[in-house]
Amino acid sequence: MAVGHPLDPYLRVDRIPTMWCPGCGLGVVLGTLLRAVDRRIREGQLKRENVAFVGGIGCTARMSLYPLFDSAHVAHGRAIPFALGVKIVKPEMKMIVVGGDGDIAAIGGNHVLHALRRNADLLVVMVNNMVYGMTGGQLAPTTPRGLYTTTTPYGNPEKEINMVRLAAALGANYVARGSTTHPQLLEQMFYKALAKRGMAFVEVLSTCPEIFGRHIGFRNPADLYLELRKRVVVKARPSVEESDYSWEKGFVLGEYVDRDEPGYIDVYSEYLSRVLGSGG
Amino acid sequence: MRYEYITGNTAIAKASITAGLKFYAGYPITPTSDIFEYLARELPKRGGHVVQFEDEIASINAAVGASWACAKSMTATSGPGFSLMLETLSLAVITETPLVVAYVMRTGPSTGVPTRSGQYDVLQATYGFHGGLVIPVLAPSTPQEAYDLTVRAFNVSEELRTPVVLLSDAVVAHTYGKVAVRERGEVEVVDRGKPSVSPEAYRPYDPLGGLVPPMACFGEGYNVLVESLTHDERGYYAPRTDIQRRLMWRLYRKVVESSEKLFDYSATHLDGCEHALVSYGSTALSARAAAKLLREEGFRACSVTLRTLFPVYEEGVAGLLKGVEKVFVVENNVGLYFRELRGVLRDKEVVSVPLIDLDMPLPQEVAGVVKKWL
Amino acid sequence: MRLEILIAGRGGQGILFLGHVLGKAIAEHTSLHVLGSETYAAETRGGDSRVDLVVADREEEADFIKVMRADIALFMHQLQLDAYKDLVRDGAVVFLDSSNVTDVPQRSWRVYAEPYTDIAEREVGTSRVANMVALGHLVGVTSVVPPEAIESAIREVVAREWVDVNLRAFRHLLRKGSA
Repeated sequence: MAVGHPLDPYLRVDRIPTMWCPGCGLGVVLGTLLRAVDRRIREGQLKRENVAFVGGIGCTARMSLYPLFDSAHVAHGRAIPFALGVKIVKPEMKMIVVGGDGDIAAIGGNHVLHALRRNADLLVVMVNNMVYGMTGGQLAPTTPRGLYTTTTPYGNPEKEINMVRLAAALGANYVARGSTTHPQLLEQMFYKALAKRGMAFVEVLSTCPEIFGRHIGFRNPADLYLELRKRVVVKARPSVEESDYSWEKGFVLGEYVDRDEPGYIDVYSEYLSRVLGSGG
Repeated sequence: MRYEYITGNTAIAKASITAGLKFYAGYPITPTSDIFEYLARELPKRGGHVVQFEDEIASINAAVGASWACAKSMTATSGPGFSLMLETLSLAVITETPLVVAYVMRTGPSTGVPTRSGQYDVLQATYGFHGGLVIPVLAPSTPQEAYDLTVRAFNVSEELRTPVVLLSDAVVAHTYGKVAVRERGEVEVVDRGKPSVSPEAYRPYDPLGGLVPPMACFGEGYNVLVESLTHDERGYYAPRTDIQRRLMWRLYRKVVESSEKLFDYSATHLDGCEHALVSYGSTALSARAAAKLLREEGFRACSVTLRTLFPVYEEGVAGLLKGVEKVFVVENNVGLYFRELRGVLRDKEVVSVPLIDLDMPLPQEVAGVVKKWL
Repeated sequence: MRLEILIAGRGGQGILFLGHVLGKAIAEHTSLHVLGSETYAAETRGGDSRVDLVVADREEEADFIKVMRADIALFMHQLQLDAYKDLVRDGAVVFLDSSNVTDVPQRSWRVYAEPYTDIAEREVGTSRVANMVALGHLVGVTSVVPPEAIESAIREVVAREWVDVNLRAFRHLLRKGSA
């Protein structure tokens, strides 16, 4: 009899192995995320049938294919509005949006902007590998300046987006930056984020040795992993000013924002009670 | 049932509530905003949700999500917004999501004349999304039809698990009319089929020998999979020709094989008619008045108003116009639906009467063009 | 039976409201079918304001929604009379607000002219209800709809504090018409 994985009960095991390349960081993200969900379920704070995964398009979005929960693999960039549609109708749902930096920050940029502004009750996990992996190595808004991509073959001339700063500025209740190089920290962030009302936004720095690693000369998964690990530093409660996004200077991991403002569902419910209270 | 004097847009809004609408997501756009505004006032009082999103893309995606949370969902828009929605309309097709899109056509292309009318988007309504399948398109020509076809659009979308386009236009939108407004219980309301098996045995895209799979929603413990990739009955990605064939033909057949059931039209003076003026939407009123003018001049003219534009029920249309000598397709565009009908009526002379008008073509103008062919 | 009614005036004269009350009364309080359309200039006051009603006893007869040969017309201002007079058929019943219309074309119309605006100001206290004075005249003469239907529609549409003044205005020429 094959020895099962402790997370098997939460997985569509008939779909394993995943489609991800050897050395991809996404397995770490899925593992830590499911462990955090498991803890919340065991503690009685989440009902399994109320947890759902939604992904747009990209390697990260495919994470929605594997968990044995309600899940949706929708259009590129559109996971957030889909998830919010579900959430408004069924506020008891815990909607987990999984997407890459392209899915969330580029094509889904307008949606994440307004979801953050609304403090929408979603856990958004943006896995940032700094490149378009699935389509073969094109420019992402997170690609460090100067680096080669297939669509900026002479070096990316553009400034990178700092989603932590954006999320903090627009009012998410929880904003953290983790990394696949620090799985325990990541799991703790997810665990905490799952209990938040309002928007929880977690950026996860991850490794794509097959594409990003190849571009920058670290094709061996372990080499890229160690390279990223050199460039991150963990801080307890860093300030948003410390969130600078720089491959050169490195990245600060930690919980940038942890507050408890009313979430979208709170204010929307209050709006509905005003409608019903007005004699409608 | 009671009679009300309301516009086509208000008729759509009222009918959607009767049909069971529970979630409306939208982005303001002329000439649909009054549907949105009416629902924003009335739907929350009845336990429904109305939310303005950041754009039409978010709106239709939220509506698709809400539909998977068991809520009957709708959005409304016009050309520029519908163009943005097309990507997700395709998602709704492959995920078999019940959804109504009220498409109120205005003058185009691009921004065109936002407040005025046209029928330029009749083909886009069903052919616009990528993937080469057909979705039902129902077209009202009066406020009463806007009411009746809205109820129908919801029922069809639930029964077939498909997005349905309710194709109105700026004239119908703003025309007032006497409308028989009905309550729940006074009209047939169809709800999607639900699974009768255990969550373990449930396969979200298994049609169980038919063409339309039962649909579980989020939060019911069925571990549903909403999958935009080509998928098997479980919802698992399956990049295989045999799976793609099976999926495509089922999605195609479930709509096209409903064409007889979906076929809907009205006709005047069809008996002994030699020259049929076929039209749809607000232009159908011009065609009907033009046919009357022609009859006054001694021609054996009749008018046919098509309320179902897609899927085209070929035998039905051919049968309806069997005894007619010439068919004139009157529309407020360059002659688009004419192409559909010409393909169906191969043994008949089919003449395009494309009359571009910011409102509706004048009956005299329609009659004048038709007479040149008599 | 098919009847075309044209109501036209300048923005601010309550043309759309008049048309709405008439259409609503016909739709909701008679067995007749009706289609109505509104045309108005972008500016709220001063521009063209027009309501077309097509009334029919059978639904299919209520077809083209724009008036082509009005059987009944009401002009509240000279500018719109000049602009739309060709849409009114010979033999039509035509109502004119003689407070604002002085130059009437020579046509085979049955013309009813009263100073609706002056009457409203003098008798009801505000020219704002000149539209209802005119509607009373039109309903009284043509009997296109029972007066009670109009009064019901007014009660349903008008804010409570304005119902009485609108009803008084509506009734002022009602009997004069039928007499």
